[in-house]
Amino acid sequence: MATDSGDRATFETVDWSAVDDPNHLPTGRSLAFLTAVGLLTVAFGYDYLLADGPLAAGWSPTALDWLSLVGVAAFACYVVAPLAQNRQLTRRYWRQLRRDKLAVASLGWLVFFALFALVGPVILGDPETAPMGMGASEGRYGIPIYQPPVGFGVSEHAATVCSGPVSDGKCWGTVLHPLGTTNTGEDVLAFVAQGARIELKLAFVSGMILVPVATVVGTVAAQFGGRVDSLLMRYVDLQQVIPAFFVYLVAQFLYGGSLLLMVVVFGLLNWGGVARLVRSEALKKREAGYVKAAQAAGGSRLAVVRRHLMPNVANAVVTAITLQIPMLLIIETTLSYLGLGPMQGQSWGYLIETNIHDKNFPTLVWWSVAAPVGFLVATVVSLNLLGDALRDVLDPRTDGKTSGKTDGGDR
Amino acid sequence: MTDSLLSVRNFRARFDGETGGDIWAVDGVSFDVERGETVCLVGESGSGKTVTCEALTRLVSADLDGEIRFGGRNLLGLSEAQLREVRGAEIAHVFQNPQGALDPVYSVGEQLREAVERNRDDLGESGDSGESGDSGESPDSPREVAIDLLDQVGIPEAATRYDDYPHEFSGGQKQRVVIALALAGDPDLLVADEPTTALDVTIQAQILDLLGELQDDRDVGVLFVTHDLGVAAQVADRIVVMYAGKVMERGGVSQIFDSPSHPYTRALFRCLPGWGSALDPIPGDPIDPADPPGGCRFHPRCSAAVPECGEGEQPDLYDADSQGESDHRVSCVFYGPDRNPAELDAERPTTPETARVPKEGDDD
Repeated sequence: MATDSGDRATFETVDWSAVDDPNHLPTGRSLAFLTAVGLLTVAFGYDYLLADGPLAAGWSPTALDWLSLVGVAAFACYVVAPLAQNRQLTRRYWRQLRRDKLAVASLGWLVFFALFALVGPVILGDPETAPMGMGASEGRYGIPIYQPPVGFGVSEHAATVCSGPVSDGKCWGTVLHPLGTTNTGEDVLAFVAQGARIELKLAFVSGMILVPVATVVGTVAAQFGGRVDSLLMRYVDLQQVIPAFFVYLVAQFLYGGSLLLMVVVFGLLNWGGVARLVRSEALKKREAGYVKAAQAAGGSRLAVVRRHLMPNVANAVVTAITLQIPMLLIIETTLSYLGLGPMQGQSWGYLIETNIHDKNFPTLVWWSVAAPVGFLVATVVSLNLLGDALRDVLDPRTDGKTSGKTDGGDR
Repeated sequence: MTDSLLSVRNFRARFDGETGGDIWAVDGVSFDVERGETVCLVGESGSGKTVTCEALTRLVSADLDGEIRFGGRNLLGLSEAQLREVRGAEIAHVFQNPQGALDPVYSVGEQLREAVERNRDDLGESGDSGESGDSGESPDSPREVAIDLLDQVGIPEAATRYDDYPHEFSGGQKQRVVIALALAGDPDLLVADEPTTALDVTIQAQILDLLGELQDDRDVGVLFVTHDLGVAAQVADRIVVMYAGKVMERGGVSQIFDSPSHPYTRALFRCLPGWGSALDPIPGDPIDPADPPGGCRFHPRCSAAVPECGEGEQPDLYDADSQGESDHRVSCVFYGPDRNPAELDAERPTTPETARVPKEGDDD
């Protein structure tokens, strides 16, 4: 029956009612979100129509920047704010998440990744490494290419311009370039940070597109059934046979490549699978007694969808999204690797491609490949692991169990 | 006679069959429920009890026909939006399985509070005052009302359990919470669809007692569905015996139990342990709803059936008491003008002999 932990009665309510009762005005959270979106729209309009040059000192945001800001606003209003307001709930989630060491590590990595992507490019600046040794000290000057990461050394003859200490005929890595430099002398760490920011924007914006669209389509199709269901699901079928990759190539050819284009194409063409998953989950939940009970108590169909169906499929959404977003990150890297990337020259894929084909790979510049690959793998795996753990954490029924890995959440 | 709280007349519910034919799950059912009274719908599985209940507020997706008068209007004529105001606030449901009837992601208190708040909003809308603000400090906050409701349905330490989640309650407690939820709208009619079937017997008795107490306190009408005659005996004021979408017999609880008149009712009683010499199941299977037999729906399984049972329509609801007007009605030819019910008693064997069932009855 109940857990015997003493704090059982202190749980605050699960506040899924981010968008609350239809009879009421929008909640403060929704109001905050709408205000944020409104402000961003005004700022965007000003930037787009009136202002010449950068909006603020040295910053002229792209359309994607604006979209990712909307994504950040949504994240802040509907994920961070509820967690901050509802301390009890947050503590409960945390207590459960903590049992899963891998999930905690994943969360740690993702937090680090987000901070690194936000702050890294500002601190580290452009990956272009300044030519060194113009004073011709020790006779070494020029662009320091092939610099090894800290703790590694390469032959002096390979890295002829060494920015670190030279001993035993080897050029050693230096904190100046903690992850070394590329075959063209760019700082790998700064490059990775720059790529990370692209991936972060990608994750936020595609998440912002995928989550609401897939959830609404899936739950509405399940709850209304009949013609609505057929129409939505046949559309999804149709959409699934359109290869997003091909559409992207054509659109890139027609309109020129941009990260925005990629996010829009892959975001808008990829929610079908998630929506299907949500629908099947919602179909299961629709048969649950509480949905019928809510209808018997006078709830309208839409209110039932939002109050009862959506929170109960949140697990499925979280799981599906944490598989979908990593896939987009990999697609982006792949496209850049193939030279079709939207942010050619800044992405991890480009970094990998230019260095993996260097004649000295893998003796040299393996670090220029290993760093972005490591970041990508860690991020993708972390998202998957965290999603899996969140599936359990978000289910109140798993509370008090010894492990998050129970199937007790399925009905 | 004044208007009944609920008055169902010649009610029919049609579903589309899988092979294209129509399935009349409920086919011409009439009964009344008075305020403060418990009416039991009794019958085996597939007799249309649940469809009847859920069709009251149109929770089933079937074509409905007939008349369901409640609060001075025909519920079948209401729009979906008007029905929503009836649901919960005037007719509340308690479903069979308490395990699934509570949303697992909200605490019990929050679900109750929501129901209380919704009811207040409805009152605010129907009232003439324009103010809709419910956040004001009313003497009874929704939380207090919700805790009070939990207390009323016998949840110990209601205030501490308020924030608990459904999975932290036992089955019986969950059903108590479900009843509290149903009461939150202060309904006039409570429709309880096998509310105790999923519970063990001791908890069952407690829930039945609780329902009885609440009914006395609030003077609500209760439409109670059960297949368990023992439960029916305990709670019912009147009983409606259904079979294959038709009413076989209806009457006061003492009338039904003292003098069960329809062969089907008698057969049901013989199924009860302790009523006959041995457990005596009704022979045969329930009918195919897509292709019901002509005449009395029960005649293919009836030990007393005579050839005229298989002819025409289901017999009218004749008065079971031959010497006057009573509300004990039986849909059986033996109670009709042409026959004497005594024949039925005479023909009733101590053990049913299935061989007596006339075979020509099925064939057309």
